[in-house]
Amino acid sequence: MNFFKTILFGLILSSLFVLPATAARIEISAPGEQTIPLAITRLLPMGIGNTQPAVATEVQEVLEGDLDLSGLFDFVDPAAFLSDAGKLGLRRNEVDFYQWRMLGAEALIKGGYSVSAGKVTIELRLFDVITQRLLTGRRYTGRLKDVRKIAHTFADQVLKSLTGEKGPFSTKIAYISKRTGHKELYLMDVDGHHPIRMTNHRSIVLNPDFSPTRKELIFTSYKKGNPDLYRKEIYTGRESRLSLKPGLNIGGRYSPDGREIALTLSKDKNSEIYLLGTDGTIHRRLTNHYSIDVDPSWSPKGNKIAFVSDRRGNPNVFIVDIHSLEVTRLTYEGKYNATPAWSPKGGRIAYSRLDDGIFNIFTIREDGTDERQLTFGTGNKEHPRWSPDGRFLIYSNDLGGKGKSIWIMRSDGTGAKRISAPGADDSHPAWSHHW
Amino acid sequence: MEPSRKQRWQQLQSAFEPRFKQMLLVSLLLHLLLPILSYLPFFSQQAIEKPPVYRVNLVNKIVKNPQAGRPEATPAKKKKAVKSKPKRKAKPAVKPKPIPAKPKPKSKPIPVKPKPEVKKVKPQPVKKVTPVKKKPQPKPAVSKIQENNLQKRLEQIRAKQQKKAAEQAQKDRIADLKAAALAESSKVRSPISSAPVGMADGHGNEAGVSAIAFVQEFIQQQWNLSKYQVPGNPEAEVKLLYNAEGTLLHYKFLKKSGNTIFDESLIRAIARSRRLPQPLPESMTFEILFNLKDMLGKP
Repeated sequence: MNFFKTILFGLILSSLFVLPATAARIEISAPGEQTIPLAITRLLPMGIGNTQPAVATEVQEVLEGDLDLSGLFDFVDPAAFLSDAGKLGLRRNEVDFYQWRMLGAEALIKGGYSVSAGKVTIELRLFDVITQRLLTGRRYTGRLKDVRKIAHTFADQVLKSLTGEKGPFSTKIAYISKRTGHKELYLMDVDGHHPIRMTNHRSIVLNPDFSPTRKELIFTSYKKGNPDLYRKEIYTGRESRLSLKPGLNIGGRYSPDGREIALTLSKDKNSEIYLLGTDGTIHRRLTNHYSIDVDPSWSPKGNKIAFVSDRRGNPNVFIVDIHSLEVTRLTYEGKYNATPAWSPKGGRIAYSRLDDGIFNIFTIREDGTDERQLTFGTGNKEHPRWSPDGRFLIYSNDLGGKGKSIWIMRSDGTGAKRISAPGADDSHPAWSHHW
Repeated sequence: MEPSRKQRWQQLQSAFEPRFKQMLLVSLLLHLLLPILSYLPFFSQQAIEKPPVYRVNLVNKIVKNPQAGRPEATPAKKKKAVKSKPKRKAKPAVKPKPIPAKPKPKSKPIPVKPKPEVKKVKPQPVKKVTPVKKKPQPKPAVSKIQENNLQKRLEQIRAKQQKKAAEQAQKDRIADLKAAALAESSKVRSPISSAPVGMADGHGNEAGVSAIAFVQEFIQQQWNLSKYQVPGNPEAEVKLLYNAEGTLLHYKFLKKSGNTIFDESLIRAIARSRRLPQPLPESMTFEILFNLKDMLGKP
């Protein structure tokens, strides 16, 4: 008996060594497809209440616009949708994933809405078609005019579940527009909808910037004759002058913690970069050079500031360490480098450069290497600013000769499109944080 | 000899500038310096690197021992095989010749020539044709209507034959062309003699694709990931066990990348690769290293 046992044991043992016959090693160093096939179905009316097809249309339009801009997706043609697209099944076990898989979709957005007494309820779901899981789901309630905002918020959520970081679509963009004949401050959605005028100074308003912590803006205005720095609370509309030194008070930018403001003052007859407290008192002078120093932009850590100076001849971008006041030069090429903007995710600095008579947007690593031109062709592209997640850049572009308008593109220069209506001379965009 | 040469040299020297010797030396040195300089990394020329030529036939079946694919690199045995193919196709090229002869009868010497060909093609029409030939002889006995009918049928048959002949000729032409193309392709030489041949890992004697290359290609096609989703170059290693039918029996992460989005995209790719479209030569285990090396730095 014992003999047989040992033989059996031996057999089992040897089979263990024999079974894993061949283990081939393979390296796959790039995905086959670099976009996610996504199907967005039209919202269906759910429960009792009125059916309002406009709600479904609007949600679809916003979701498609935002998600297309992200560059992550490849949309499955709605004309190919099968029966499941017409069914309001928002639970995992109610969705026929097989149909969607046949269409090649990897992600699926389904949703429903109901309207009653001016209130709209929207439910949206993002499914993973392959693993048949619910990735994210939200139920929103609001007024009818909030439908776009709801869709933007869900688009943010979609990016969060597919990339780990929330999208910036539910934030706001501030910009300067001349549609009243004067340069005034405006706010709009990220897709250019809902422009609202914020100021009525009837003079020149410039250089808006959002506070990272509070719902307020700073900007420069010539309302009282001198270019002074103003602060404005967005919801109350309350406005105050923050810095009214003689000469320039321009290019104000909040530090990442919101406690200080870097700006250019020319109170001593030469423009220099200063740090201001939020009460308007001067904390520190950062530059001390007979040349012109303007356009400060904070590093995300708040320890350095990029700015423009002509101390070496042509205007170029320099970086100053706010503790040691050590200045290093960042750009060398081009005749005119202006308006640096430091990515909130760190790493790169965007700026506009004049080359062959045209301004284009460039980015460069903060150590001065890997300079890349993002925009090409006719039209001056100026004043680049980053989205709070560093995914996108907005800038002004005077393409077509009807004055400037605000454009948006991905941080690698792809997917550029106009977001503000043409013909109003829109410039100086700034992107808000998530509130 | 000696003095005369010296004299000539002196004559030469007198004809040129006084420091001609030095100049000559400097010039020589400079010329020697040139090739040395050109080899310095300072002036390094970037050699134009032609990408190696691979021939991968994905339509082919998966085999255990794929052969090397570049024609001139194939062993002698295979060359024979290649040659034999055109031969086979050359034969049909010879055959058509007698058939094209058919069109001639169109003119009118009807009865004689069709016979042999028709017999070859179809037995039924032959029977019909032969009576036709016999009938023309006792012509007077047959009514004109009958004759007309016969004529019509005859014409139909002839048309059929022509059509067939034309088809056959076309087929033969295609076969000829194919043979020619094959012969041509076997003459094609890779511009780089050291280029890897056909299947990169081809070394065996079977026409087909190695299972490893096939699985690599297939799983890569199932993997979807956007560059906007994942920063940097995460890396994960997965072990997959397939049975001989090409069904995934088991998978296991040997190493996770630490990036959930990246790892989940791999799980999706594996889920989509649960069944390979073709069976494998045997049960196989694959250890696949996934990373984004080829996606980095691309705008």
